[in-house]
Amino acid sequence: MLQIWCSKYYTNCFGGEVEPQRRAGGARHYHAGMATLRNLQDAVGDIGRDSFRSSIGWSVSWWYVVHAGALVLVLGLSPSTWVRSSRAALARHVYLGTAPMLPWFALLSALASVVIIRIVVVTALSYGLSQYALEMVVRVLVLELIPLTAALFVALRATVPSGTELTALHASGALHAQEQAGADPLRHELLPRVIAGMFAVLLLAAVSCVIAMLLAYFAVYGFSVGGLAGFTRTLGQIFDPGVSMIFALKTLFFSFAVALIPVAAFLRGPQSAVAPGARSSRELDSLVRLFTAILAIEIVSLMGNYY
Amino acid sequence: MSDDDNQPTAARVPSHLEFKATLLLITLLVLVGGAALYLSYARGAFESTQRLVLIADDSEGVGVGMDMTFAGFPIGRVRHIELGPDGNARIAVDVALKDAHWLRQSSVFAIQRGVVGNTSIRAFTGILTDPPLPDGAERSVLRGDATAEIPHLMAEARQLLQNLNAMTTNDSALSATLANVQSFTDKLKGPGGAMGALVGSDADAKKLITALDRTNTLLARLDGLAAKADTQVFGNDGLVRDARTTVTQLNAMLLDARASLQKVDAVLAEAKAVGANVNAATTDLGALRTDVETSLRNVDGLIIELNRKWPFKRDTELKLP
Repeated sequence: MLQIWCSKYYTNCFGGEVEPQRRAGGARHYHAGMATLRNLQDAVGDIGRDSFRSSIGWSVSWWYVVHAGALVLVLGLSPSTWVRSSRAALARHVYLGTAPMLPWFALLSALASVVIIRIVVVTALSYGLSQYALEMVVRVLVLELIPLTAALFVALRATVPSGTELTALHASGALHAQEQAGADPLRHELLPRVIAGMFAVLLLAAVSCVIAMLLAYFAVYGFSVGGLAGFTRTLGQIFDPGVSMIFALKTLFFSFAVALIPVAAFLRGPQSAVAPGARSSRELDSLVRLFTAILAIEIVSLMGNYY
Repeated sequence: MSDDDNQPTAARVPSHLEFKATLLLITLLVLVGGAALYLSYARGAFESTQRLVLIADDSEGVGVGMDMTFAGFPIGRVRHIELGPDGNARIAVDVALKDAHWLRQSSVFAIQRGVVGNTSIRAFTGILTDPPLPDGAERSVLRGDATAEIPHLMAEARQLLQNLNAMTTNDSALSATLANVQSFTDKLKGPGGAMGALVGSDADAKKLITALDRTNTLLARLDGLAAKADTQVFGNDGLVRDARTTVTQLNAMLLDARASLQKVDAVLAEAKAVGANVNAATTDLGALRTDVETSLRNVDGLIIELNRKWPFKRDTELKLP
């Protein structure tokens, strides 16, 4: 029922066929001056109704995200999910969703890290604050930029296309065919994609953080192991229990958002996916929702760290 | 949507997929676990520590996790900060046991604040041979911040100025002392000089000089007297020579006396024997006395009997008229 209701909502919202008739009909029954006023009232009413419908639609789309998360949680905790065919599908999605972009992301992340580290170290040195350069580099890169970049990179390269692909499979009836054949699409298509998206975010963030810390060490201390004690001590000062917990939770919630929000569109049903231009609209919608979630997580983490 | 899109991944499945996926998973677990272990090590979770409590009147700028340095090397970390019941901040520092030997009983601790607001806790040890600092020791910490010392410095400077004002007023003890010193120096410059200043007046100074002259004369006389006494005592006919002769004679007399005493000892031994004999005789005298008393009693009875039987008995009884 929810899917049918939402499909009607989208048809009304984006179809635009009912409103012109109402406006035309309304204009026929009034004087010309009154017709202008009536048109203005109709326009204001349309804006209000559209805003209300948009708000409802926005809230419903978030409900699908929560629904997808609950589904994934239940499926992931069910022992019946982890049969051999499901493990094979999970392994395929994990590997294909992570391995191809891992070297590129590591390389791009290392290049960006080198540039930022160099800027920070040189600036700190020029102000005579070189003792704070390492702490600033770690805080800026490892705690803030790299998890955010990894999440966005995985979203753009893997999970958003994967969610669109899942919706297209649903629209084409392939999932229904799988269900008819005795396979469970949720276990073989939805769950592996979500777990693969989360895994990709975590692995890319972990690898890039390690690379960034190594580069920071070499930039500050040079190619010597003499600064290892000071480096370790500085990291120990930065990663106090509160900061470590916020960092871990932030990365985890990034991975949740990146993995769940794009595939949540799959639960809305296949109607909108087959409409003209619906695919790009669906991807854009997922991206906007994803950016909103990531922004909210980042703001909360910043408040937790620095307020 | 074509059929190829419906089977998007089936055509590009690489070999050993599950192994590679497992490898990626192990990589992630190793990275996350290694990072957790490394950060735990970096925060000192695996090192043995001893507790040091620093007591400061102001802990501004001190944060949990901050290092305590000795000669520029971090040897301890601030674990927690609390406000004590006396209103002072209690800064608990965990000092690594391997570095604890740098802290001694005489160590001094200071909180220093830099120009840009960074604060550091430093330890200074002047005598490394002192006994080591015990676990749980509490030490007061000094503030190395120049700006923090300004109010204290101003208060002390104000107190110092007040003391100076009190010392330099006209009725102060210092003014009176200076006036006395001036009168003293005036007397020093007078005809009596330092002597007059010491004794109070010129007349007394003259008396003192006269006394000194007489003392000198007396000393000259004593000198001659001593020379004469020397002749009398230590000369050829002096007392010392006589005394030596007397001592020699006394020695001879003592020898004679010792011989006499030996004779007296012999006499005493004989007297002792005589005494013993007398003692025995005294014992015999007791029996003799008894015999004599018995004889006398018999004689007495005999006389009484004769008197009673004698014809010319006299009446010896006295009769009153």
